[in-house]
Amino acid sequence: MLVRVVSRLLLPPTLVIAAGILVKGYAEPGDGFSAGVVAGLGILLQYLAFGRGSVERLLPPLVPGVLTFAGMLLALTVAAVPLFLGDPVLTHYPPPGTKPIYLGTLELITAVSFDVGIFLLVFGFTAGAIQIVAHAQDDERDAATASPPEEAA
Amino acid sequence: MCEHGYNGAHASSRTHPWRADRRGEGPALIAAAVLAPLVFAILAAPVAAAAGKARAGLAAPVGAALAGLAFAATLYGWLSGGGVVDVPWAPTLDLRFDVALDGHAVMYSLLATGIGFAVLVYSSRYLPLHLAHERRPQTESTRFYFFILLFMGAMVGLAMARDLILLFLFWDITAIASYYLIGYDRHRHESRYSALMALLVTGITAVLLLIGALMFYVAYGTFSVPEIAGRVEPGALLVTAGLLILLAAFAKSAQVPFHFWLPRAMAAPTPVSAYLHSAAMVAAGVLLIGRVYPILAQSDTLLAIMSAAGLLSIAVGGTLALTRDALKQLLAYSTISQYGYVVLMFGMGGKYGAVGALFYVIAHALAKSALFLTSGAVTEATGESRLSRLGGLARRMPLLAAGSGAAAAGLAALPLTIGFFKDELFFAAALAQGGFFPALTVAAAVLTLAYTWRFWAGIFLGEPSGETREIPPALVAPVAALGALVFAGGVFVGPFAELARSAGATIYAGPVGSVEPAYHLDLRPENLMALATFAFGAVVVLSRRYWRGVALAFARLGELAGPDRIYELSLRWINRLSYQVHNYEVRDLRGRVAAVLVPAGVLIALGLAATPADGVFEFGGVSGSDVPLLLTLLAASVASLAACFVRRHIMLAVVVSGSGFSIAVAYAFFGAPDVALVAVLIETVLTLLILGTLRLIPRGVLQRAAKIPPTYLRRKVFTAVLAGAFMMAISWSTLSQGTPEQNVAEEYLRLTPEAHGKDAVTVILADFRGLDTLGEITVVALVLLGAATLLNRGRLP
Repeated sequence: MLVRVVSRLLLPPTLVIAAGILVKGYAEPGDGFSAGVVAGLGILLQYLAFGRGSVERLLPPLVPGVLTFAGMLLALTVAAVPLFLGDPVLTHYPPPGTKPIYLGTLELITAVSFDVGIFLLVFGFTAGAIQIVAHAQDDERDAATASPPEEAA
Repeated sequence: MCEHGYNGAHASSRTHPWRADRRGEGPALIAAAVLAPLVFAILAAPVAAAAGKARAGLAAPVGAALAGLAFAATLYGWLSGGGVVDVPWAPTLDLRFDVALDGHAVMYSLLATGIGFAVLVYSSRYLPLHLAHERRPQTESTRFYFFILLFMGAMVGLAMARDLILLFLFWDITAIASYYLIGYDRHRHESRYSALMALLVTGITAVLLLIGALMFYVAYGTFSVPEIAGRVEPGALLVTAGLLILLAAFAKSAQVPFHFWLPRAMAAPTPVSAYLHSAAMVAAGVLLIGRVYPILAQSDTLLAIMSAAGLLSIAVGGTLALTRDALKQLLAYSTISQYGYVVLMFGMGGKYGAVGALFYVIAHALAKSALFLTSGAVTEATGESRLSRLGGLARRMPLLAAGSGAAAAGLAALPLTIGFFKDELFFAAALAQGGFFPALTVAAAVLTLAYTWRFWAGIFLGEPSGETREIPPALVAPVAALGALVFAGGVFVGPFAELARSAGATIYAGPVGSVEPAYHLDLRPENLMALATFAFGAVVVLSRRYWRGVALAFARLGELAGPDRIYELSLRWINRLSYQVHNYEVRDLRGRVAAVLVPAGVLIALGLAATPADGVFEFGGVSGSDVPLLLTLLAASVASLAACFVRRHIMLAVVVSGSGFSIAVAYAFFGAPDVALVAVLIETVLTLLILGTLRLIPRGVLQRAAKIPPTYLRRKVFTAVLAGAFMMAISWSTLSQGTPEQNVAEEYLRLTPEAHGKDAVTVILADFRGLDTLGEITVVALVLLGAATLLNRGRLP
C-alpha cells in the first residue's frame, strides 16, 4: 500500500525533474539522455507498483515506439534543416558571437531541440524496453500455467 | 560515448555550398532540374509500396508512372543542359552530396528508368502468373515492386553521384536490392543460395571500392571523382587504388573470375533477370568504370588489366553460352561475354573505345532485355525452359518471333539494327589499337553471332513440339517495343549516337565529336571485319557437330575446378570455422565474458611489455581532502571482492550494483557531475533489469547454475585476475601521465561559451560531436525495433 501511494505521488515530480534536467542541460549538469532515463525510471516504478495493466492504461503499448521515432525524426530534422539554409549538417543557430533570444533565463537555441529529440528517444526506448520485458514475463507466466505440470517442472 | 570525428560546425568556414555550373539561370531552378530525376526515382519504391498496401494491384501502375516521370525528368534535364548540385553536408569529414546530370548520368538514368518502365509493364502481367504458379498470395507482389523500384532509384543515384562515398552508398543499396530480388522465391533453397552468393560476391568486393576510395582520399584529400582525376599522377598508388575499384566493378559486371554468380542469379523471376542484366546490377559495374574512367585512363597498366579481363570474359562467357541448354542460362553467359566487350573497349581506350563502350551498353540493354522477356514469355506459353524441348514457335507466336528476332539480330550485330554500329565502333577501337586486337575482336563477334543464332533459331525455327497456351498481350508488347527500338536504332542511329557521344564527352579527355556511326557502302576495314564475322559465324553455326564436344569439356572443367567450386569450398570452410569459434565462445555466459576479458588482458600485457616503464607508475600524494574519495573507492573494492564469494544470483546483482554506485559517487568527487549522474541512472536501470530478468529464470535452473565445479572455478579465477591486474596497470599508468600539451578537452571548454552553453558535456554531445550522437541514437532506435520484433516472434509490433 505504502509503495503504491508513494509511487503514484512520485510520478509527477519525476517528470518535472526530467524536464528540468533537459532544459537546464546547457548550463548545468544533465542533458537529454539523463532526462530520458529519469523519466523512464518513473515509468518503471509504476510497473513495479501497479503491474502492467494499469500502466498500459496510462501509456498505451504503441506510445514508446512512437516517441522513439518521433525523437529520431526531430533530431534528424534539426540536423537536416541547415542544409536548406546553405550550411553543413547539424549547424546550430544562432551562430557564435550573436545574442540568443531569452525566455526568462532560458536561452532559445536549436541545440536544445536536438537534445529534446534525444530525450524523447531515450525515454521511448527505456519505456519500450521495460514494456517488452514485462510482456515477456507475462507470456512466460501464461505459458507456465497453461502447460502440463511435468513440463513446467 | 563518442570516439572520434569532430563535426565542428562552429569552427568551419561559412561558404555557400549550392554551387551550380550553369550560367544565366537561378541556382534553385538548376538544382530542381538536376534533382528531379533522382527524387522521382528514389520516391518510386516507397510510394509504390504504400499504394500496393492499399490495393495490391496498384503497386505496378504507380511504380511505372514514377519510372516514367523519372525518365521524362532525365530527358528534360538533359535537353536543358544538365548541371551539378554539390552540397558539402559534413565539411569536416570532406563528405559531399555531389550529383551531376551530365551525359554519362543521363545515359544510365534513361536506361534504368526506361527499361525499368518496360519491365514493370511486363511484370504487371507476368507476376500474377508467377505467384499463382508458386502458390503464393497475390499480396506478395508489392514486395517485388518495392525492391525493383529501389533498385531503379539506386541506379539513378549511382549514375548521378560524383562523390566516391556517395557512389559506395548507392552501390551497396543495389547489392541489397538484388539480394531480395534474386531470392524472391524465398521458399526455394536454390533461390536463397543464389541470392546469398550474389550478395557475397558483390558485397565483399564492394569493400574494395571503399578501400580504393579511401586511398585516393588519403593521397589527394578529396572523394570527388573530377577533382581526383585532376590531381592524380601515374604511379603505384593509382594502380593499386584503381585496381581495387576495378575489382569491385568486375564483380558487379560479372567479369571473369567473378562471373559465376550471374548464371546462378537466374533463379530470380524473369523480369528481374531482364532488368539486372540490361540496365541495373550488371550495368552498374561498367557504370562505375565509366564514372572513374578519367582516373583509370591515366594508367596504362589499368587499361591493360581491363583489356585482359574483357577478353577473358568474352571467351569464357561466349564458349559456355554455346553449351547451355536452359534459355536463361544461355542468356546469362551471353551477358558475361557482352560486358566483356564493354570492358575490353574501355581497356582499348581512345575516343572509339570510350564512346563505343557506352554505345555498346545502350545497344546491349535494349537487345538483351527483349531476349530475356522473350524467354519468360516462351516459358509461360509452353511450360518449357530448355532449348532442346523447344522449336517451331515462329508460326504460333509471330509477333514475339519478330520482336525477339530484331533484338537477336541487334545482339548479333546484323545490318539495319542498332547492333551493327556497336560492332562498327568495336572494330574501329580495335583498329586504332592495332596488334592482335582486330583478329581478337572478330573472333569475339563470331562467338556472339553463333550463340545468338542458337538461341533464336532454337526457339522459333525447326519442328514444333508440344502445346502452347494463350499468353497475355502485355507479355509480348514490351518485347515488340524493344525490338522495334533495336530496329529503329539501326535506321536512325542519330539520337542513340548523340546520347553515347555526350556520355563519352563526360568521361573521355579528348574530343569525341568525330565519332559518327553510319553505314558506308565501301570496303573500309570495319566493313570487311563485319563481313568476315558473318562468314565465320555461319561456319561456326553449321559446324556445331565438330566443336560441341570441346565446348562441353571446357564447361565440365569449369564445374570441377572453376571459381564457382572455389567459392563453394571456401564458404563451407569459413562456415565451419565460424561454427567452431561460435560454439566455443557462446557455450555459456562465463565463456563469452572470458572471450572478451582474456584477449583484452593479453593484449594490454603485450602493450605494457613493449613500452618503457620508467616513471610510468607513480604514487601521488594523499591529502586530507581526498578522504571521502578514498572511502568511496574502498567501498567499491569491498563490494567487488564480496561479489567473488556470494552464491545467490539476486545477492550477486545487488552487490555488483553496489560497487557501481560507489564508482558513481567517486565520479562526483572527481568533479564530473555529468558522468556521475549518468552512472547513477545507468546503474539503477541495469540493476532493475537484471533483477527483472532473474525473475524470468526458473528457480531450479538458478540453483543448479550457482554450483560451479572446481576445475571451472580455477579457469574463472585465472581470467578474472588476468583481466583485473592488467586493467589496473593500464589505469595506473594512464593516471600517472601528465596532461598532454595540446588537449582536445581544453579546446572544447574554450568553445563551449561560444556555442551558448555552460555545461561542456552537453554541448559536446549536442553540438561539437552532434553527428556522432545522431549515429548513436539511430542505433538505439533500431535496437528497440529489433528487440520488439524478436520478442514478437519476428513480426513488427
